[in-house]
Amino acid sequence: MALLPPEEGWYFKRVAKDEKMWITLALVVCLILFFWMIVWHIYGKQNPSFTTYRTTPEEFNALTMAFIEKYKTGEMNGIPVVEPPPNSDVFLVGKMWRWEPVLVLRKGQEYRFHISSLDLLHGFSLQPVNMNFMVYPGYDYVLTFKPTSTGEFAIVCNEFCGIGHHMMIGKIIVKE
Amino acid sequence: MFRTCDITGLKVDLRAERLIQLNAVMAVVSLLIGVIAALLLVLTRWQVVHLLPVDWYYRVLTLHGLNALIFWIVFFEIAGLYFGSTVVLNSRMSSPKFGWLALILMVLGFLLVNFTILSGNADVLMTSYAPLQAHPIYYLGIILFAVGALIGVFLFFANLLIARKERTYGDSLPLFTFGLVAAAIIATLTLATGAIIYIPTLLWSLGIIKSMDAGVYKLVWWGLGHSSQQINVTAMIAVWYLGAFLTVGGASINEKVSRFAFVFYVIGINVASAHHLLVDPGPSPAWKVFNTSYIMYIAVLASMIHAFAVPSAIESAQRRRGFTKGLFDWLKNAPWGNPAFSAVFLSIIIFGFIGGVTGVVNGMEQTNIIVHNTLSIPGHFKGTVVGGTTLAFMGATYYLIPLIFRKKIAFFGLAKIQPWVFGLGIAVLAVSMYILGAFGVPRRHYDITFSGGPFTYTFNPATDFFWVLFAVGGIAAVVGALMWILIVVFSVFFGEPVRGPQDMQLQVASPPPPAKEHGGFEAPGTLTLTLLFMGVFLIFLLLNWGWLAAMWEVR
Amino acid sequence: MEERKTEERKTPFLQLVLDDFMLLLFLGVTIYAVSYLIWGLIELAWLSPIPAEIKQELLGGR
Repeated sequence: MALLPPEEGWYFKRVAKDEKMWITLALVVCLILFFWMIVWHIYGKQNPSFTTYRTTPEEFNALTMAFIEKYKTGEMNGIPVVEPPPNSDVFLVGKMWRWEPVLVLRKGQEYRFHISSLDLLHGFSLQPVNMNFMVYPGYDYVLTFKPTSTGEFAIVCNEFCGIGHHMMIGKIIVKE
Repeated sequence: MFRTCDITGLKVDLRAERLIQLNAVMAVVSLLIGVIAALLLVLTRWQVVHLLPVDWYYRVLTLHGLNALIFWIVFFEIAGLYFGSTVVLNSRMSSPKFGWLALILMVLGFLLVNFTILSGNADVLMTSYAPLQAHPIYYLGIILFAVGALIGVFLFFANLLIARKERTYGDSLPLFTFGLVAAAIIATLTLATGAIIYIPTLLWSLGIIKSMDAGVYKLVWWGLGHSSQQINVTAMIAVWYLGAFLTVGGASINEKVSRFAFVFYVIGINVASAHHLLVDPGPSPAWKVFNTSYIMYIAVLASMIHAFAVPSAIESAQRRRGFTKGLFDWLKNAPWGNPAFSAVFLSIIIFGFIGGVTGVVNGMEQTNIIVHNTLSIPGHFKGTVVGGTTLAFMGATYYLIPLIFRKKIAFFGLAKIQPWVFGLGIAVLAVSMYILGAFGVPRRHYDITFSGGPFTYTFNPATDFFWVLFAVGGIAAVVGALMWILIVVFSVFFGEPVRGPQDMQLQVASPPPPAKEHGGFEAPGTLTLTLLFMGVFLIFLLLNWGWLAAMWEVR
Repeated sequence: MEERKTEERKTPFLQLVLDDFMLLLFLGVTIYAVSYLIWGLIELAWLSPIPAEIKQELLGGR
């Protein structure tokens, strides 16, 4: 009785057959869920990264500027366009309220992204693939991406970062 | 100091009763603010209307978060804690003076927070992620509220210690109060974490501390932020058992099972705050996987246990009354005309099928990649804390009004349909938000046409349909909530008095006849429902992992 | 007055745990504090800076 103390000997009451069945099923499912995450880290192709470095907005900005200078191929709406070689360190910076640079990548190649912010938290939301990661000031999030589709992709910011939040949209172009 | 309730026979400490009433009133005031804010937000995110200007959108979003998710629920829970530790145990309030102090602090905090938000000094959203910074008074208000609530929680434990010493309840607490114990334990660590994060943040906003590390802030904040939601889950389930008891005389078919499930919550549920950091830099995958799994899904197991235990309590009582035909005779003949029953049952269904199914998938380390910060996230938690906890609390209030306020429920005909209007509205809202998020629509975002940005992006045209559903569901939910507020306010302040059991519109069920020995299943109808739930859950799980596998590779 | 341990059966240890809400409070707070807060904060504190090779590659020894 929810409002009354339990009956005498409640601890020793046998668990009903169906309740026992259900609990067993639920327990098995729960354990599978846990091990599934671990197994996916070994065999799955989409996992949050193991690598984060400490940085500062000054340091990360310097690295990003140097990266842009090294691989710049043009400009789009005032934002530098950069085409880095596969298997290299790619720097992407989020700041109120834009993503820099625009990246041109090749399908099927790996790129080691370093993503950080110069001011507040931002959200890296790649559309339409819908992959979402957080971007922090002071932290360099190293994510190794391998694009598996071609075309033009938007980087929507999906972490509130002030009044210009909705204007913060970047671009990634993936070629064959 | 006491009155004896002429309907339930319980001894009511009048000093506790007064505090229960006042906290409940504050809860309703907060909900009203939260609901008005919700309407404004629905009509803004639906960009066909796009009602609010950009700065007010984020301001009202902050207002909505604080009032609907924190103030409404915590005021109500404090009232519930006092009820569960005094009235239910036929015991006394340990210190009414501290109860008043708690209330004053909470009201003061409520006022300071709302004032700073409305004056534009806290456009930081409920999470207030550093380096975003609000005015110091905002943080002070939250600290005062949290301290007041913590005093209320300590009073709960003090009441229990007194009741235990004065032996007013025997060896084991009633299940409802036991559930509240679990909730209060979680509340203790929640509020303690709140102090650990908000005091330095206040000092930072005053310039006394020079900087606030973004990673440390978010990690610690969610120790407060999600744990507070786990309080709500636990309190909701306690209310489910209470509802089963009052409406049909249902009791857990095995107290040991139900109690262990609550203990599993105590042990495993709080670490799952980690699911807010799954796609964040900083903590390792080991930390993420271990913690997000609620320590190997101990707490998810507990939820699944309650998912069986609560409906089976209802089914078992009904079967003993003679509703034994087929699988669902017991459910068809349940007191659907009792708004507390319909609210509680809808809460169970919505929490399970919408909140629960989406929640586990969102919280797995890898699938979080395809949902984080999309509209799917609020879609999920509309299913849990709004369709689940809030609806259950609304149902409980239909007994609170006659039993604690001693008033008849006004507009009773309206009350009977209110849970349906609210519940179905929230269900439609939650599902449409989740689907919009699956298309990549971001949460907490003013303009998904990105006007003013260097580039643009157009979401899948199918989203237009779901935005309409979003608006329909949202407006219906607002209507359902306003109906409830109207009924409650009218009943409490203008309603006819309850002079005795003859004035009760809702029955307080008498215990059903004792169970007959039989070899079969105790609750085959419930088993069917839970197996159906498991099927839906597994299908949703597989779909999401399939979608994840189709994404770009990342590690 | 009932005794905790009657003649017929000793109260099982786990039932005593279930009935001891102060012990449950301790367990709940401690497990969370260690597994979520302390472990998490330690991990944040132990992060290393960006490796010199990466900086060298781009900034050329600055």
